[in-house]
Amino acid sequence: MTVLEAAAALRRKQLSSVELTVQCLARIEKHNPDLNAFITITASTALAEARKADEELTLGLDRGLLHGIPLAHKDLFCTHGVRTTSGSKVFSSYIPNFDAAVVERLREAGAIMVGKTGMHEHAYGITSNNPHFGAVRNPWDPQRIPGGSSGGSAVAVATGMALMATGTDTGGSIRVPAAYCGITGLKPTFGRVSKFGALPLGFSLDHVGPMTRDVRDAAAMLQAMAGYDRRDQTSADQPVPDFMPPLGEISLQGLRIGLPQNFFFEKLDPQVDNAVHFMAYTAQDLGAELIDIRVPDGHQLNVLAQVTLLAEAASVHEPYIRKQRSSYGDDVRTLVDMGRVLPATDYLQAQRLRKRILGVYLDLLKQVDCFLVPAVPIAAPLIGQNEIAIDGQMEDTRLATTRLVRGFNALGLPVLSMPAGFSRDGMPLGCQIVGRPWDEALLLQIGAALEDRTGHVKRLPPGFPPA
Amino acid sequence: MSTSLGPDWKALAAAQKIELTETARERLEGLSKTLLGLRGLIDWTEEPAQIFQLAASQEDSAE
Repeated sequence: MTVLEAAAALRRKQLSSVELTVQCLARIEKHNPDLNAFITITASTALAEARKADEELTLGLDRGLLHGIPLAHKDLFCTHGVRTTSGSKVFSSYIPNFDAAVVERLREAGAIMVGKTGMHEHAYGITSNNPHFGAVRNPWDPQRIPGGSSGGSAVAVATGMALMATGTDTGGSIRVPAAYCGITGLKPTFGRVSKFGALPLGFSLDHVGPMTRDVRDAAAMLQAMAGYDRRDQTSADQPVPDFMPPLGEISLQGLRIGLPQNFFFEKLDPQVDNAVHFMAYTAQDLGAELIDIRVPDGHQLNVLAQVTLLAEAASVHEPYIRKQRSSYGDDVRTLVDMGRVLPATDYLQAQRLRKRILGVYLDLLKQVDCFLVPAVPIAAPLIGQNEIAIDGQMEDTRLATTRLVRGFNALGLPVLSMPAGFSRDGMPLGCQIVGRPWDEALLLQIGAALEDRTGHVKRLPPGFPPA
Repeated sequence: MSTSLGPDWKALAAAQKIELTETARERLEGLSKTLLGLRGLIDWTEEPAQIFQLAASQEDSAE
């Protein structure tokens, strides 16, 4: 069941928020022992909040589409009185006395928190194979990773343990798990959603966004999450438009969709290539014009993003790693160490270059309305698989998984990640639609048009029937 | 000792009492080399020390 379907059922009195919440909690109880999507389950407070939501609706107080809808928060968003671990041993007993901005906003919108989701340690990785809380598993094949760092959020949504979830994306951490788990994830424009109360990783790269079953749900969630917040120094005072795409068939007549002829379609599993091109031809069938473009060297942009993240994450973790070195998992400790020895000049040159490349991308986005590219070059790899063969060549799994997503964090552009199809063995494949700053509404409209036409979103992980 | 124009990663790590793996050193070397190769793109008159904000960058690009 999607958020919009549940919202309609609540208003038709076919379902109550308590019933919906009980259904989600039952799914968590049944499947979490195998999939490990949640670190903390807040069943009793969820039921109390659901009862209140039902009472409010009965009294005519309607907070909007998210009213009474079960939600999961990634376990790096501070939640008042509820443990917030960031998937780490360092924060394993941290209980904040305040709520993160998105926790506040989603609660004000009536959403019901059912728990806090598992993630890659400190959000610094893409496997969600966590040394302290165990591996989060992909519901399409539990031997495979769900992606990360927001892996638990993606699994919760894919399996109906929650109808929506929050995520953060510093180098693909919303878009990768969305692609590997067959759901929708949106990395909004940098500054669109407040990061206040989200435990940081990379100051200038961290983005907060929605993770949902489908595109219209992502629009509903973003509507509640977006907006200026003076408590976040990088929050942008931009108008918040209506993000919701229309219902019914959406024409893409007059839209120019850029298909990069370099970098993004190189070194791919041919199944991914075919799936994303199928999405492009579907857009063309809906009226869009496909335009071949060339983008700046993606490898170079990835290097700038990696240098920026290494330095910023080392700065964030400096006080903790000095005192609690053994509390870090091997992979995260190595990355923090690398950042600690990186020269400050490299970081500053990366900032200069980043701005220069953003200018080139903004010029390209005057020629086209958006780009359509793959999200990940492969389907989800196996848990513990450090290298993967792509088109006959071996590649580091982490670098391969982030290759097509990381650069957009350095540019701050909005990106929608959505299902593009399935591999022969039934694993989800994902694509990204990349737009101009603050143009999330257009991305959501294009995404909804493609989703309506392809119907990929209707396919669910085996063993997880619709609620 | 440094093996290229880039920093001596082993010495930098030792100064921080850190031991980097060979893979980590190779990755840092690769990142640094790529950055070095991109120096030609830098506008040396630009001030890099500012908080990254997209709105401001957009205005710059439109100029």
